[in-house]
Amino acid sequence: MARWLRVWEKKRGTRRTGSKLVGTLGEALFSATLFVLGGVSLTTLLVLRALPIEHPFPPGFGFWVMVIVLSSFMLLGGGGVIWTWLNAGTSPERRSALAKRAAAIGPKTMATPQRPELPCIPSDANLTNSPGVKQRYRLPEVQSPAWRLILAIVFCIIWTVSAALLSLMALISFFRGEPEYFLTIFAIPFLAVSGWAIYDMHRQWSLYAGIGPTHVEISDHPLQPGREYWVYVSQSGRVAMKALAVQLVCEECATFRQGTDIRIEQKRVFNRQIDRRTDFRITPDGPLELETRLEIPVDAMHSFQSEHNAINWKLVIYGEAGAWPSFERCFPIIVYPHHDGQQDHHRTADFAQNLPS
Amino acid sequence: MTASKTITEPLISLRICRPSAAFHPGETLEFEYQIDAIEPREIRAVEVSVIWFTEGKGEEDLGVHFFERSRASDVVDGDLRSLQRLACKLPPSPLTYHGTIVKIHWCVRVRLVRRSGRDICADRLFHLLPWRGAHGSG
Repeated sequence: MARWLRVWEKKRGTRRTGSKLVGTLGEALFSATLFVLGGVSLTTLLVLRALPIEHPFPPGFGFWVMVIVLSSFMLLGGGGVIWTWLNAGTSPERRSALAKRAAAIGPKTMATPQRPELPCIPSDANLTNSPGVKQRYRLPEVQSPAWRLILAIVFCIIWTVSAALLSLMALISFFRGEPEYFLTIFAIPFLAVSGWAIYDMHRQWSLYAGIGPTHVEISDHPLQPGREYWVYVSQSGRVAMKALAVQLVCEECATFRQGTDIRIEQKRVFNRQIDRRTDFRITPDGPLELETRLEIPVDAMHSFQSEHNAINWKLVIYGEAGAWPSFERCFPIIVYPHHDGQQDHHRTADFAQNLPS
Repeated sequence: MTASKTITEPLISLRICRPSAAFHPGETLEFEYQIDAIEPREIRAVEVSVIWFTEGKGEEDLGVHFFERSRASDVVDGDLRSLQRLACKLPPSPLTYHGTIVKIHWCVRVRLVRRSGRDICADRLFHLLPWRGAHGSG
């Protein structure tokens, strides 16, 4: 079948089997139709409303709903036509270059940048704004256990109150002699989820109250491959610990669409234990304190962040306590490339032994 | 006897002026390209870019480091097919990476924008590798 006549097209890698021109025309036609449909319908609605005739069914709240819906049709259609027109005949590289140029002429902060500008490497501003006690910087945690506990409490309260109300209504119907069987069946899964929410809240509370906060400090930041740093870890609480491990972890993160859903997949590609303590007790007067040496592998990839892909480095504190559930607390770090490109210009790059196969 | 119609596609010759195609941040990437098998009047523009792009499980991301668009009116004789040699200094990041679900590639791309509307592209991959050495304590 001719390429431009295909109804269903396939995506093979970065190449599509269908015609780009037909696709663009179809997109423009769809958006234009939506715009015209919205415009004509909205005009008709407004004219009918303005005419001095008696309506058999005068529109009330529904009139404004119609105005909002038809206006959104016009906005979506008009926006679609403009977007298609702007994208037609422009290559992705040119669009990206224009966007980069536009970003470069945008407003800039007056502060002088402290670090060299490294494209696609996330800023470490939030990681170096808190000084440490034993080391230079205190690292922030990805998700504080306090926030997780607050979320668990709020969810538990809302869900348990809803489940209790439903169960109460079902019980009353039985006492009145008019049993609501459908409501009773509906309330059972609500009660089950409520039970899980109470368990989760208890678990989070146990982790927070029994194990206590974890503090991590580092001697320098950002980190560079092949270099060594000192890491200080402090674990407070009131608990007998089976084990506590400090791990250096690298994760790849990819965001992609599956149907209409947006999914995120993470893959741990590097995991090195840099310290581990076993069978010890943490008391309120004596938190566990350990200072350990951290070496970033010489061949480590730098941190990377783009719109849909990322390479994240972090320090993970993994703990196993006797009576408590195991826990994992993550502290992000930023790894820079070996040099900033301004140094070592005498080196030659005319070798290929390091090329990935 | 069957009659066959030969459709000649335009040719884009693109060469990176270093056989290993391995570079380090801050080094200069030199490359040259030439266009053939197309009439000069059929060419609307030629876009040359040095880009990085991701490959893997996630949606593809693309970043442009260098971009140049030439039209017939930009050159003296109006012919965009002649041999062109360009150079650009490479940035410190992102480096070439071959991960499990994320991969980062660098390439030089020459896009021929034809008056008929169909673009033709030629890509040459190269590697942006880290400097090695300089160990110490932080």
